[in-house]
Amino acid sequence: MNKRILSAAVAATLALGLTACGGGSDKPAASDAPANSSAPSAGIAKEDLKIGFVHIGDESDMGYTYNMVQGAKEMQKNLGISDDQIVTKYNVTEDDACADALNELMDAGCNVIFATSFGFGDYVTAAARENPDVQFCHATGTQAHTAGLDNLHNCFASIYEGRYLAGIAAGMKAKEIGNPKLGYVGAYPYAEVISGYTAFYLGAKSVCPEATMDVIYTNTWNDASLESQTAQALIDRGCGVISQHSDSTGPATTAEANGAFQVGYNADMTTAAPGASLLSSRIDWGVYFTEAVQDLIDGTPIPQDWCKGYADGAVALTPLNEAIAAEGTQDAIAAAEAALKDGTLEVFKADLKGVNADGEEVDLSQGFQESDVADGQTSAPYFNYIVEGITEVSAQ
Amino acid sequence: MSAQHIEHKEPLLRLAKRDDIARPKAWAIRAAAILLALVTGGLIILALGHSPIEVYGSMIGGSLSKGRALRETVKKAIPLLGTALAIAPAFKMKFWNIGAEGQILAGAIAASYFALFWAERLPKTVLLVVMAAAAVIAGGLWGLIPAAFKARWGTNETLFTLMLNYIVLGFVKYLQAGPWGPDLNPNGYPKIPMFAEAALLPKALGVHIGWILVLALTVLMFVYLNYSKHGYEIAVVGESVRTAQYAGMDVPAIVRRTMFLSGGIAGLMGFLQVSGASGSLTENTAGGIGFTAITVAWLAKLDPFVMIAIAALLAVLEKGADTIQTIYTIPASAAEMLTGIILFFMLGCEFFINYRVILRGKGARK
Repeated sequence: MNKRILSAAVAATLALGLTACGGGSDKPAASDAPANSSAPSAGIAKEDLKIGFVHIGDESDMGYTYNMVQGAKEMQKNLGISDDQIVTKYNVTEDDACADALNELMDAGCNVIFATSFGFGDYVTAAARENPDVQFCHATGTQAHTAGLDNLHNCFASIYEGRYLAGIAAGMKAKEIGNPKLGYVGAYPYAEVISGYTAFYLGAKSVCPEATMDVIYTNTWNDASLESQTAQALIDRGCGVISQHSDSTGPATTAEANGAFQVGYNADMTTAAPGASLLSSRIDWGVYFTEAVQDLIDGTPIPQDWCKGYADGAVALTPLNEAIAAEGTQDAIAAAEAALKDGTLEVFKADLKGVNADGEEVDLSQGFQESDVADGQTSAPYFNYIVEGITEVSAQ
Repeated sequence: MSAQHIEHKEPLLRLAKRDDIARPKAWAIRAAAILLALVTGGLIILALGHSPIEVYGSMIGGSLSKGRALRETVKKAIPLLGTALAIAPAFKMKFWNIGAEGQILAGAIAASYFALFWAERLPKTVLLVVMAAAAVIAGGLWGLIPAAFKARWGTNETLFTLMLNYIVLGFVKYLQAGPWGPDLNPNGYPKIPMFAEAALLPKALGVHIGWILVLALTVLMFVYLNYSKHGYEIAVVGESVRTAQYAGMDVPAIVRRTMFLSGGIAGLMGFLQVSGASGSLTENTAGGIGFTAITVAWLAKLDPFVMIAIAALLAVLEKGADTIQTIYTIPASAAEMLTGIILFFMLGCEFFINYRVILRGKGARK
């Protein structure tokens, strides 16, 4: 009898625990708004717009999704879109939960849906194929290029420029503390992440030539505790300054707890870790969201691939944490900024060679042109070579 | 020690097992529990600044409105019901199978193998049957392992089945990051690609045909448990292993057979998830269903037909939680808390149905 009770308790506890953690998937009770307006060429009156967002996390990550939400607010402010015209799905996993979320947003009458995580791609493309009247904008994705659908669009920003500049702050700090070993919490071993950390590394190396970098992958975009553990592992391996391609402030607070330093991504993390976070590079998604929604109002087509950078304000740095940054950091960043603008600085140009997972080699002494939409390429980055000086530490 | 002294030692509260609670009384306790759960949840909703009535209304509307909402709720209920059915024979045998989660994934992996590598070589119907069969066998074998150990060495099945979950989950992550992920995806992203059309279950009334399958399974399981020789053996082993042995039953064989069945049905649910619900294998394919199904089976007292109602209720709660999250921008975690509260009260009330709480001095002395 005791055993039965005990087992029931175990089962119940497990069941409760897991139910509580279960991934959210769906949606709003559909408003019975009429189906979406006609083709975008007619233009949609501003008041008739309904804009959907599908996010992998929520604002509490204070990183990736927070940054996306800031972008949405900026777009609302720029265009005068009211809150009830925005419907947002948070914490949507990269599986059929995404398809459910897209369906619910269409039920709610959305004319345009922004899906903001790479792994949503297959579901967004499928939804775009089935719903030609709704515009789908998939951030960081790559499928618009080949899908041949008028209503599927990809967007990204030249974040590598921001990464490079942020890398300078890391390199200056590494030099100051006399520890040239950098650490990087990477999400997945694929182009978007590799491009980002290579730019970061090259920025650091431009001011701290002896810099090396360890990269550990978490194999997830957003898992605050795993990101913290990974940051801890990097610090334990002797890294003095770390950075990240992951969604939360976990690495920042871990760096702070260990007396290390950190460069963030997508949001100012100095509030979370005032004694560790130097600055962050971020994409200002408001620029894209505003342009895309404006296109919809004007009846002009949303570009199939959209990619803008530092010069257009789509990539930015958060304010430097002067209290802890190495002396001269601001000047070094300013110099690089100027060089980026006048074209004398190429991010992916260094006396380094690299090799990718397929065994292809690249020689950066010739430079490398990352995602050039004007040249007919995808907006998402595709630099996927591991260059000398960077070590991928195999996952735990 | 005098009797007087013992009298003083009577605790403030004590519990007595109820042997014969009247049905109406049991249902009254359950109704009170749900009411209390709604009130408690309502207080939280109030604290978040919304009207409880409206929010509960949206939960119902968002999960049961005709059309997409209802279809999605059904889609969520399918694996819950199926997995509860899978667990039922094991639990009736008092074999605590906490490993349905892993058995689902084992089945899903086997089905995915054929979906990914055989889709072009087999006609659709054959492919789907092969995927289903592979899933049943893989799930069954994954369930058989702890059964064999228990039958041979008396290992603790609760821990054993629980731990096996993490092994399969780890394997799915490995496949995702390795041989089935970047290598099969043109862009090298570590995600298992979507299945080809041939490997996807057809739909009936807008939901994948898994719902017909689990309803049929419900009837079969009811008959199996109540009117078959196997069902009888399971019940006897569950009540007393010694009695079973005395009656000449081969207890280890019954344990193994039942766990193969249990794991096999869970594996089949894995097939429904990858081929019907998501169209691919991810680490969320089981997504806690194996554990939530325990709640379903337990609340239904292992009665297959009651499981339909409980699985539906949980699916409504889950879908409703998602809906209110969107409409009222209630944080996802708060919406899930409401579900948790309702489950907590529902499970908790079973305690009061099974036990009587006696205050000091109230217990009649016999």
